[in-house]
Amino acid sequence: MFMTRLIGRWALFALLVAYTVFALGPVLWLAAMSLRTTAEIDLAHYAFPKTFHWWKFYLAWVDSNYRVYFWNSVIVVVSSVLVLLAIGGMAGYCLARYQFRGNRAIFFAIFSTIMLPPQITVISFFQILVEYRLFNTLAGLVIVYIGIQLPLTVHILESFFKRIPQELFDAARLDGYSDFAIYWRIAVPIAVPAIVTVVIVNFILLWNEFLYAVVLIANDEKRTLPLGVYKFMGDQFSDIGMVATGAMISIVPVVIAYAFFSEKIIQGMRG
Amino acid sequence: MSISRHRHPSKNWLAIGLFLGPALVAYLLLTVYPVLLTIFNSLLEIRPREAPTFVGWRNYVALASDRTFWLAVKHTVLWAVVAPVLEVVIGLLLALGLYARVPFGRFLRVVWFSPVLISYVVVAVMWSWLYNYDWGILNHALRTVGLGGLQRSWLGEPRFALAALIVVDVWKWTPFHMVVCLAALQGLPREVLEAAELDTCGWFGKLRFIAAPMIAPTLLGLLVLGFIGKMKVFDLVWLMTQGGPLWSTETVSTYVYKRAFDWNTFDLGYPSTIATVWFVAILACVILFTTIFRQRDTLEY
Repeated sequence: MFMTRLIGRWALFALLVAYTVFALGPVLWLAAMSLRTTAEIDLAHYAFPKTFHWWKFYLAWVDSNYRVYFWNSVIVVVSSVLVLLAIGGMAGYCLARYQFRGNRAIFFAIFSTIMLPPQITVISFFQILVEYRLFNTLAGLVIVYIGIQLPLTVHILESFFKRIPQELFDAARLDGYSDFAIYWRIAVPIAVPAIVTVVIVNFILLWNEFLYAVVLIANDEKRTLPLGVYKFMGDQFSDIGMVATGAMISIVPVVIAYAFFSEKIIQGMRG
Repeated sequence: MSISRHRHPSKNWLAIGLFLGPALVAYLLLTVYPVLLTIFNSLLEIRPREAPTFVGWRNYVALASDRTFWLAVKHTVLWAVVAPVLEVVIGLLLALGLYARVPFGRFLRVVWFSPVLISYVVVAVMWSWLYNYDWGILNHALRTVGLGGLQRSWLGEPRFALAALIVVDVWKWTPFHMVVCLAALQGLPREVLEAAELDTCGWFGKLRFIAAPMIAPTLLGLLVLGFIGKMKVFDLVWLMTQGGPLWSTETVSTYVYKRAFDWNTFDLGYPSTIATVWFVAILACVILFTTIFRQRDTLEY
């Protein structure tokens, strides 16, 4: 009895280790290739780097324009997330704490668009941005990102604001706080955990966003990181070592964020 | 749990307007308007540098007999059914493994979750290489164990390409389901499982008769969300096979993209029609699922 239990436990552990290799193997392989030259890779595709060619990162960063893609991604993601927090926070607060006719209807209308397939808006966004001269601009992409991430943002913040005890707000009102002061000085500081979740989820989803970016950006100087890697896939497919380096550059910020906030990120993405 | 909701006696419409206004404007301009525009566009033919012409239901009639579209529908639905089932089943097994308190459980959970965070572009690069005919790991392994005859061009053969893509989808999304299942398991009252322990209920018995029924709603929810989500599948297909070879991985979303931006037809009306039809199909699924679950709930109580 004891033995079978022990064997069962080891079998289970072996299975979990096998899955770990499956889950992480490809990523580690990519990381190894990012530090090897294509000539080295061609000799042995599954070898550990003999010398770490860090200069490849410099090459990708400077010569292959990754610097530009990286900062474009930063600009787009940071601006989108800031605007989303500002307008989504107020809307979530309002829908959670004010009772008025149509409150639930508005909440449901906004929330239900989470289900929308992106194709239903991507063609018309293309037309709209062309018409307003925002096609192929980072500002245009930011506007679209605000639109597609608003429902999730409002939903997360609304459900948090809803759980704050009413007494807090009543006390503030007795102290003569205005509506906005209550929001800004009472509700927002309490909502920091929810705000962190919103920032994390939007950062990861938008940092990786591909469909809208590939449709709405045409110029190399305006590319975000996913588009940069995509271009690399096409242009330099034979130079797999450099493609791996570029791909690694695009996931480094996510990896760093994950190293520090893994629990928070898992919770946030779980929803 | 009783939640004390704000019931402010005097409705401050000014504050409501200022708080809600910006989001409402964004919602109308950036969601409602584009959706309505696409639906309207589905009745037009829109060519560059020409005034759009109204063609009525012509696009819809053409779509009904568009064999590529129906092939894309078939692939998409297949994907939307198969992938969530695999992801939930494997995710549940992994969650049970972690729930059994294996060594390094917390570490494994963090490591396993990482594919969820990696962008599709990078995932596509990695897996295109893993499937590479000459030096991809799959063929490499087959050759090593002397099964070289089974080597395939995994993304290049119509028979295997779709399955190969679904494997990548499973790789990326299983950890997400694992984490949700684990949270559901950890939410179960410990006493119940300990009682089962005393009754010398086996490991499988515990899973089959106690854990599974108790987290069934979570599993069902994951399957439904997965299904709806995969009906939109685009990135992976576009980046790895572009719907090929020979349409064998074409999905509705890639077909919309192709017809809108990648074919020399340059008509935005017809792809809008496809998008509209698919939007209605997904909406119908959502409504169908919600009604079914409402009925189930009322039956259970």
